[in-house]
Amino acid sequence: MGNQTKTVEERTRKESNFRQILHRLQKNKIAMTGLFTIIILIVVAIFAPILMPYDYTEMDMSNMYAKPSLSHFFGCDDLGRDIFSRLLYGARASLSMGIIATLLSTAIGVVIGSAVGYYGGWIDNVVMRVLDIVQAIPGMLLAIAISAALGSGFFNTIMALSIGGIPMTVRLLRGSILSIRNQEYIEAAEKINCSKPRVILKHILPNSIAPLIVSVTMGIGNTILTAASLSYIGLGIQPPMPEWGAMLSAGKTVITRYPHLCVFPGLCIMIVVLAFNMLGDGLRDALDPKLKN
Amino acid sequence: MQTTKQKETSFLSVKNLSVEYTSDDEVIHAVNHVSFDLQKGKTFGLVGETGAGKTTIAKAILRILPQPPARIKSGEIFFEGEELLGLTEEKMRKIRGNRISMIFQDPMTALNPIMRVGTQIAEAVRLHENCSRVQSVEKAIEMLEMVGIPGERQREFPHQFSGGMKQRVVIAMALACNPHLLLADEPTTALDVTIQAQVLDMINELKRKNNTSMIMITHDLGVVAQACDDVAVVYAGEIVELGTKEQIFTAPSHPYTLGLFGSLPDIHSDSQRLYPIEGLPPDPSNLPQGCSFHPRCPYATRACGDRQAALADLGDRHLCRCINLEQIQKGGKKP
Amino acid sequence: MTLLEVKNLKKYFETPKGTLHAVDDVSFTIEKGKTLGVVGESGCGKSTLGRTIIHLLESSSGQIIFDGEDITHVNKKKLHQINENMQIVFQDPYASLNPRQTVEETVAEPLLISGRFRKKSDLEDETGRLMDLVGIDRRLRLAYPHELDGGRRQRVGIARALSLNPQFIVCDEPVSALDVSIQAQVLNLLQDLQAKQDLTYMFVTHDLSVVRHISHDICVMYLGQIVESSPSKELFTAPLHPYTKALLSAIPSTDIYAPHKRIPLKGEITSPINPKPGCRFALRCPHACEKCSTPQTVEELLPNHFVACCRGKELNQL
Repeated sequence: MGNQTKTVEERTRKESNFRQILHRLQKNKIAMTGLFTIIILIVVAIFAPILMPYDYTEMDMSNMYAKPSLSHFFGCDDLGRDIFSRLLYGARASLSMGIIATLLSTAIGVVIGSAVGYYGGWIDNVVMRVLDIVQAIPGMLLAIAISAALGSGFFNTIMALSIGGIPMTVRLLRGSILSIRNQEYIEAAEKINCSKPRVILKHILPNSIAPLIVSVTMGIGNTILTAASLSYIGLGIQPPMPEWGAMLSAGKTVITRYPHLCVFPGLCIMIVVLAFNMLGDGLRDALDPKLKN
Repeated sequence: MQTTKQKETSFLSVKNLSVEYTSDDEVIHAVNHVSFDLQKGKTFGLVGETGAGKTTIAKAILRILPQPPARIKSGEIFFEGEELLGLTEEKMRKIRGNRISMIFQDPMTALNPIMRVGTQIAEAVRLHENCSRVQSVEKAIEMLEMVGIPGERQREFPHQFSGGMKQRVVIAMALACNPHLLLADEPTTALDVTIQAQVLDMINELKRKNNTSMIMITHDLGVVAQACDDVAVVYAGEIVELGTKEQIFTAPSHPYTLGLFGSLPDIHSDSQRLYPIEGLPPDPSNLPQGCSFHPRCPYATRACGDRQAALADLGDRHLCRCINLEQIQKGGKKP
Repeated sequence: MTLLEVKNLKKYFETPKGTLHAVDDVSFTIEKGKTLGVVGESGCGKSTLGRTIIHLLESSSGQIIFDGEDITHVNKKKLHQINENMQIVFQDPYASLNPRQTVEETVAEPLLISGRFRKKSDLEDETGRLMDLVGIDRRLRLAYPHELDGGRRQRVGIARALSLNPQFIVCDEPVSALDVSIQAQVLNLLQDLQAKQDLTYMFVTHDLSVVRHISHDICVMYLGQIVESSPSKELFTAPLHPYTKALLSAIPSTDIYAPHKRIPLKGEITSPINPKPGCRFALRCPHACEKCSTPQTVEELLPNHFVACCRGKELNQL
């Protein structure tokens, strides 16, 4: 602690936790690989219109099922459309659905979870039983049911995807809160006349958010997978809007003759889910200061 | 000081032990050139505060230090003639739990919560002695009775016992195989004072009956006075003073030892003010130059920061690591 | 003048196994500027007593009178006022600070909430003053709890407790988790602050040697009841209750030449759930008799020295 005390005493600005966490994360090569991959994918998604060599709707029947070549890096699909361009543009749908749906379910889950965890009592009982019922339905089936009821399309799919994630977030946050609610610093906060909302915002949430951050990053990967699955079976996003799952589905009938229609969308899905999982693992280690040797 | 012959026949002889821990960017010098001897049937006290390195010494003897991040940099440990650090893991396993046993500080975490206590003790017995399951359970019951717990309770689980009783179970387990050497790491710190008294009495009684030798790690000088024969005061991984209990308590010499005695609240004293040792224990990854204690020492001189003092013999094998001893003793004790 | 008066205070908890009598009919007074030491082993209810008095827990029955005012039952607004007068320093320096707040934020928060310091510079000055008061280097204001040692963390906790200018502070085992040499520093600090700010303390601890130094009066608790209370020095020179005597004899003495007669106690501490009437120590007491199963009265056997033992007079030849 000698070295640290020197640095601590010389500190002139508040060294936020964030920087300390980032520093720990930087040391984890796997996590950094995941992070860079995600950043690259996001950049690609944003600049897709500029990066794509062809328009994603441009059809060229003479190139139907064309194999990968220099002019078409990943080949063409059943309507002669360039797969590479469709993949680049499809990143938008997949990433945005995954991120937005997960953030939405997290936001709702945090509000419910903190109220339920801090106040307890009958609200706790009622809400948890309702969530038990929701969780009893397998996630995929739930998403299918809601998606079928609402119809396909971007926003409807996001709704379908986010509802399934709420119970887990609530449970996670509630568990976190229950474990720190009886800590002495919470008692101390009440003793210095902290209002209940302030106790939740300043004392409870910052200390219970760590498992949540990990579950969010892993959740994004999972949500992307579910979105792809919905599109695969005909719900969710449909052509001509490119979406990786839908592209996978379109290629399934010719998989033996023209595997490139399935392989490249499949690889994309796999890479993005893997990247989020690697980042999530690394974040979990970096966020837990007690793991430090 | 000791002849080679004496070295070999000493019950336990630790020579020049140094242990360090490496984490990402720093090296922690946990134990620095520690040497001491223990005679058979005696209790040796290792006194010092948190982080002084006492537990590391005990774990090094038992060879249960996780390597990495720990690393035994140097040293030899002779136990009943055998050098422990050079033994194979297989040979060491025969000694651990059998001839050398350890009691850890926290009884809450030392017992397996999903195993009955009788089973845990019996398991230890079966590992080291050739006996049947029935015989091992009988031995377990015998051990429980010896520590004052009714034998029928062997079928109960740890959570059904209070803190003091859990610690007694831990002691029963440690003594089940009649170890020659018992390492006790703050065995009573987590206990209430009346229970602590009971447990200490019991340990002393068992020790006497079986002629067990013991190393008692503690920060409580009262416990040392009650239970130990010889004492080493440990600071920043080094022994700064070593001697018999009488020598340390009647003639404490090292400034740290003096400081420890001075900062103790004493129920017999009327004084209103305590005299704490100034400053904080040093950072083991960044130890001061020269004497580790000199930044906090009221008697420090410039020379203290230059070189490490060697252990000087004050007479009758009372050792002390301080270059200013004469001046301190002449000038009388500082309040 | 009497700052705090507690009359027949009870705190019971309902558990599946029965009613836990954590604090059972406790009465005492504390004079302004003085320290009452509350001593006992685990399960005696001393921590619960402290927390109940300052309203971290709601009492089951009895009265709490602070500065002449009955504060046993309070509404939210009154509780805010009470919090500015009665504070607490916790035992565990690791658990009593928010790991995500810097020292400055922790000490400044009560000041912010109270609304008394509107200007940022005033707030910073006051925070700095509090840090000086408890002996933390101002340069450490941006440090996080895990970057400080136990002693410094405890000082932060003390600074936080002092920020609202309370008159009364419950010190709940504030030095038990600290190293011996640091304990002495923090104890001296608490004594200095008491003198400087005319603070009144209730000092809860299991460590008899520590309590002697810091208390003016001491009461000994066993399983929720006070068994003996007296001025500090007299508890050690003339203990009257069998439990107090046993407790004192159990402390390992550093005097290696004074052979020390330990008073052995039978068995373990019994449970405070659904206790039988009468003295709760009787089961372990070497002097138990039939009268012990009737409720014990508190007698003043020596001036200001109270004992709850039916054989108190007889055993001490008074």
